[in-house]
Amino acid sequence: MKFFKIENNENLQANLFSFAVHLALFLIMIFSVGWQTKTPNYAEVELWDSVPVQKKIKKTQAKPKQKIIQTNKAAEAKAKAKAKAQKEADIRLKKKKAAEAKAKKLKKQKAIKALKEKVLKQEKIEKLKKEMLEKEKIERLQQQIIEQQKIEKMQAELRENELKQENKLAIDGEKEIKGGVNPGELNKYKLLIQQKIQQNVNQQLCGLDYITLEFRISLMPTGELLGQPKMTKSSNITSCDDAVERAIIQSQPLPLPKDRGLFSKLKNLELKFHPNGVE
Amino acid sequence: MTKLLYIIFAGIFFFSSSISHALEVIEILGGKANQIPIAVMPFKSFGAPKNIAKVNTVIKSDLSRSGLFYALDTRGVSASPNSDKEVNFSQWKSLEAQFLIIGRVDFLKKEKVKVSWSLIDIYKQQTILSGEYVGKKNQIRAIGHKVSDKVYERLTGSKGVFHTKIAFVEKYNNEKYKLNIADYDGYNITSLLDSKMPIISPRWSPDGEKIAYVSFEKEKPVIYIQEIATGKRKLLANFKGNNSAPAWSPDGKKLAIVLTYNANSQIYLINADGSDVTRLVRSRSITTEPAWSPDGKEIYYTSNQGGGPQIYKYNLDSSEISRVTFEGKYNLYPSLSYDGKLLLYLTQDQGKFKVAVQNLLSNQVLKLTKGPLDEAPAFAPNGHMILFVYKDYGKTTKIGTVSINGLKIDPLPLGNKQVQEPAWGPIKN
Repeated sequence: MKFFKIENNENLQANLFSFAVHLALFLIMIFSVGWQTKTPNYAEVELWDSVPVQKKIKKTQAKPKQKIIQTNKAAEAKAKAKAKAQKEADIRLKKKKAAEAKAKKLKKQKAIKALKEKVLKQEKIEKLKKEMLEKEKIERLQQQIIEQQKIEKMQAELRENELKQENKLAIDGEKEIKGGVNPGELNKYKLLIQQKIQQNVNQQLCGLDYITLEFRISLMPTGELLGQPKMTKSSNITSCDDAVERAIIQSQPLPLPKDRGLFSKLKNLELKFHPNGVE
Repeated sequence: MTKLLYIIFAGIFFFSSSISHALEVIEILGGKANQIPIAVMPFKSFGAPKNIAKVNTVIKSDLSRSGLFYALDTRGVSASPNSDKEVNFSQWKSLEAQFLIIGRVDFLKKEKVKVSWSLIDIYKQQTILSGEYVGKKNQIRAIGHKVSDKVYERLTGSKGVFHTKIAFVEKYNNEKYKLNIADYDGYNITSLLDSKMPIISPRWSPDGEKIAYVSFEKEKPVIYIQEIATGKRKLLANFKGNNSAPAWSPDGKKLAIVLTYNANSQIYLINADGSDVTRLVRSRSITTEPAWSPDGKEIYYTSNQGGGPQIYKYNLDSSEISRVTFEGKYNLYPSLSYDGKLLLYLTQDQGKFKVAVQNLLSNQVLKLTKGPLDEAPAFAPNGHMILFVYKDYGKTTKIGTVSINGLKIDPLPLGNKQVQEPAWGPIKN
């Protein structure tokens, strides 16, 4: 979950940056380029195409000068020439303007190109940066994944060890449970004790009636009896009472946990026998 | 205020202490049909003549035959201790012995013998029973049986039957019959009756003084009662048709018998002196093989009223009849244990006749033998063993005992005798 957060933040930053760059480019395009279609100067392109015509003009200019000198209509010719010169001056001015416009345009184009290049470069940088970031992020993620995997592996190992330990303890009766006694463990040992004693009860010595006997026993941590079993309820069949007492003694050592808390629960037991079952 | 605080603290203390001392309870249901491992050491003998039975062998055999004990082999054990103080308990524990019997035999003057013995509890590490018997030298086996009885009673709570008698019929020379009486284990055989005609269905009176049996000496089955001590006998039933299957009432005053007086076999009651004959079950079917409940209120019998032979019971007070056996298609020859809780009979199982016991409380049936041709099962007076006849697919006929848990089947040492119809006598004080 943590990684997704990081990724989202980075994406957001990159997106914002990209948006800003594009916005800047858009604004430059809007405010630095004349988009008006009425500009007549652009017809000057055709003039550029008629450069040889200029040479012709020069030739023609030279011709009237010779004619003014030779004819009477020199003034008219002069005026015409003047007009022509004016026209030529206009043309030159236009040319100049066109050249200036062209230069300006070139400059603009150059600037645009430079800007574009700059933007591209910036984009490239950004891209590279992004790539690097991505790479870094991936690497970081990979690193994190590796670390996570390591953690998970360690956790698994820990769990496994814990399980092994738990099993081992369960077998050895060594499980230590903090804060009290595990009822499952307690029942397990009660069942083990019950099974061991039951194997030794000689049912044949207890007649056929439904009888109950009760004994109290105290145990040492080794499973040996502490003292003799104390009969608290007799079956009224001496042989049965004796047989059950023998079964308890014979069952030593009884299976007991090594955990102190659990043992303390089992060290004093009340055993209820029903040799012929219950009604 | 201080007093109140004291009371509160005391209450908390007692409450917490009562919680901390709450005992965990473990319920243990049922158990196993374990045999008790017991070691019977050779009794030390002083002044013993040759060829005399060994007491420890008799005790060992008795306890083993009961099926409740497993007699350990003590051949590798060093010298027998003289008392519990000399017993190496850890050694016996390692042999898994729970009890140990030790003793000594002193042969006295005038052919007398004294047997002293002790029963030691290995777990409790103490002598729990001991005794001394004096008798004639030829009673050494009987003394051994008495010791077995005492040990058995102390450890099982039931009276031992090792000092009881049995009766059985022996066919000899292929044409003659003897009604024999012997120790429960087949030793000390004496003959009560010798006849050229078949003898069947011997039944001990409850006091063990008389035996009722069926004889064919009148060219048909008739019932006699014979005194064991004197050999005197009297004809109990010689009615028209067949007279058979005598069964003593628990008080010994009456007998249930089977007559074919009115065609089919029917059960009648008759006083032990032969008077007052009354028909018991009125049925068109065959009713035979009567057996009394220990309280004398019911008679169990075999009848084919449902088709195949099954065991029914007849209540003498209410005349109510009810079927008792439901497992298997062929059940017959009923008898009851001394406490009336177990019903013994023969059952046909997969084509084989086997001895079966039914718990009348749970109706659970336990087949004790494997067949194939078992006959005439009879309860020991304590209900812990059964005497029965078994045939090895017609090769030889043997009388043997089977323990009530089915763990031990032992033939009686009767050699090649052709034997049949065994009956177990009561425990006599």
